[in-house]
Amino acid sequence: MTTLAIGGLLLFIMLLLLSGGVWIAMTLAICGWVGQAFFTSTQPGKNLFSAFWESNASWELAALPLFVWMGEILFRTKLSEEMFEGLRPWLNRIPGRLMHTTVLGCGIFGSVSGSSAATCATISKVALPELMKRGYDEKIALGSLATAGTLGILIPPSITMVVYAVAADASIIRIFLAGFLPGFLLMALFSGYIIWWSLRHPEKVPAADPPSTFMEKIKQSGNLIPCGALIVFVCWVLIAGYATATECAAYGVVGSLALALWSRSLTWENFWEGLMGTTRTSCMIMFILAGAAFLTKTMAFTGIPRELADWVNSMQLSPIALIAVLTVVYLILGTALDGISMIVLTSAVVLPMIQKAGFDLIWFGIFIVLLVEIAEVTPPVGFNLFVLQNMTGKDSNTIAKAAIPFFMCLVVCIVLITVFPQIVTYLPDVVMGADK
Amino acid sequence: MRRLLDRLYLWSGYLGALFIVAICVAMVGQSILREMGVRTGAVNDVVSWFCAAAAFFTMAHAFKHGDFVRVTLMLESASPANRRRLELVSLFIGSVATAYLAWSACLFTYESWEFNDMAQGMLPMPLWIPQLSFAFGAVLLWVAVVDELQLVLRGETPTFVRAVEERHAKGDFSSDI
Repeated sequence: MTTLAIGGLLLFIMLLLLSGGVWIAMTLAICGWVGQAFFTSTQPGKNLFSAFWESNASWELAALPLFVWMGEILFRTKLSEEMFEGLRPWLNRIPGRLMHTTVLGCGIFGSVSGSSAATCATISKVALPELMKRGYDEKIALGSLATAGTLGILIPPSITMVVYAVAADASIIRIFLAGFLPGFLLMALFSGYIIWWSLRHPEKVPAADPPSTFMEKIKQSGNLIPCGALIVFVCWVLIAGYATATECAAYGVVGSLALALWSRSLTWENFWEGLMGTTRTSCMIMFILAGAAFLTKTMAFTGIPRELADWVNSMQLSPIALIAVLTVVYLILGTALDGISMIVLTSAVVLPMIQKAGFDLIWFGIFIVLLVEIAEVTPPVGFNLFVLQNMTGKDSNTIAKAAIPFFMCLVVCIVLITVFPQIVTYLPDVVMGADK
Repeated sequence: MRRLLDRLYLWSGYLGALFIVAICVAMVGQSILREMGVRTGAVNDVVSWFCAAAAFFTMAHAFKHGDFVRVTLMLESASPANRRRLELVSLFIGSVATAYLAWSACLFTYESWEFNDMAQGMLPMPLWIPQLSFAFGAVLLWVAVVDELQLVLRGETPTFVRAVEERHAKGDFSSDI
C-alpha cells in the first residue's frame, strides 16, 4: 500500500468510528494503533504508554485546568450582573443602545474566561432578560449573544488556544497576544452591524433609559471594577515578571477566588461544584490530547503528513486557495465536532502542510480559532445555539437564523486577517520580537 | 457492588480534583519562592506529574458523567432500538480499547519499576511512582466502560447519556466548552 492509501484507510476507519458514536479520544487512539500495528514495525503498546504519559505529564498543559477553573469560578459569581450595570449608562447615545452590552459584555468576560459556552451563558443570563424587559428586538439580541459569546475563545485567556499551542508546539503567550487585535476587530464588526441595523430600523429600538449625570455614570461604572481589577492583576503579575505565562493561570484562579469571596458569592458548595466541573472538563480535554498524541506518533512513523504535504505542494495551490480549501474542510468538520476535537484531530496532518506552504503557525492558530467560533454557531451541533436554546426555549434553528448577520461578521473577520495577516502578528511581534 | 463502584469512580475523581488544587498551590508557591531567591526547578517536574495525575484519576468519573465528547448526530437521529445497538457497539469497542490501554499502562509502569527508571529532570525520583496514577486510572476507566456495557446489555440507558440530559435540563452548561 502506498503511504497515502494508508492515510485514506485510517481516515475511513476514523470517520466510521466517529459517526457511530465512539468517543473521540478512543477513536484517535484506535486509528493510531491500526496504523502502527499493521503498517510499521514498532511496538504499539509501548508507544501508547509513552504517548499518554508524555502528553499528560506536561508542565505547559498544567495551565489548562487552571484556566478552566478560573472560568468556572467566575461563572458562579455576580460578575455578569455587575458588568451589565456598569456598561449600561454609557450606551444610551449610541444607535442600538443597550444592545451593545451583549458584545461588550462578552468581550470583557472573554478576557477573563477561556470558554465560549461559559461566556455565552454568563452574559445571556443577565443581558437577555434585561433587554427583553425593555423591549429590544429579540432576534438581534439572540444572534448577537450566540456569536459574541464565541469571543470567549478568541480573547485571551482561551482554552482552545492552549490546546492549539500544545498540539502545534507553539508558544502559549504568543498566541494569546495574537488574539487581542482580531478580538477587538470582531467586536467592532459586531457593534458596527448593530449600529447599522439600528439606524435602519429606528422604530425597533426602544427609548433610552432616563439620562443620568456624569457623576452617576462614573458611580455606576464602579461595578466594572472587580472584573477590571482581575484583568489588571493577572496582567501585572505577568508583565512585572513575578509569574510565567503558565503560572499566570494560577494567579488568575487566586484572583477569581478572591473576587468571588469579596462579592460573597463563594460558598463551599459552589467551590466544590466548580472544582469538580473543572476536573472533568480538563480530564476530557487531556484524554483527547493523549489519544491524539498517540495518533501523531503513528503519523510520524508512517510519514503520512509529509507525503500529504508534498502532494498538496505538488498541486501548486496558491496559499489563498489552500486556505479556502481548509476553510471548507473545517466548516464541514465543525458541523459535527466540537472545537477542541477539531483542532486536535487535524493538527498532525494539517500543520506540516501549512508550514510547508509558508504560513505562520501563530497566524494559523487564530485562523482556526475563528473557524471554531463559526462552528459554535452553525447547526446541527453549534454549541452556543444549544446554550441559548436551553436558556430561552427557542428552537436552535431560529437562533441560528438570527445569528446569520453576525456569522457574516466572522467571515469578514477571517477574510480580513487572511488579507492583512499583520492584524494577528503585529502584537506578538512588537511585544516579544519577531519569531525566528 | 453498585455502590462500591460508584463511590470508587467518584472518590477517584475527588483525588483528581485535589491534584488540580495542588497544581495551583505549587505554581503560586513556586513563583513566590523564586522571588525569594530559592531554586525551584524541581517544582516544574512535580507540577507535570500532578497534571497527569489530575487527568488519569478522573477518567472513569468523567466517562460516567458524560463529559467525554463523541459525535452524537447519528445516535440522536436513530430509533431507540438502533440507538441501543449503536451504544452497544461503541461500548464494546471502547471496552476493548480501554482494556488495551489498561494493560499497556500497567505493563510499562511495572517495567519502569523493574528497571528502576529515574526521572530526567531536576528531581531524581523513580518514575513508577507518578506513573502509578496512569496505571490505576486506566484500569478504573476500563472497569467503568465494562460496567456501562453490562448496564446497557441489561436494557438500561447508559449513565453518561442520562447524566448529560439531566444536566442540560437544569440549564447547567458549565461542563461544556
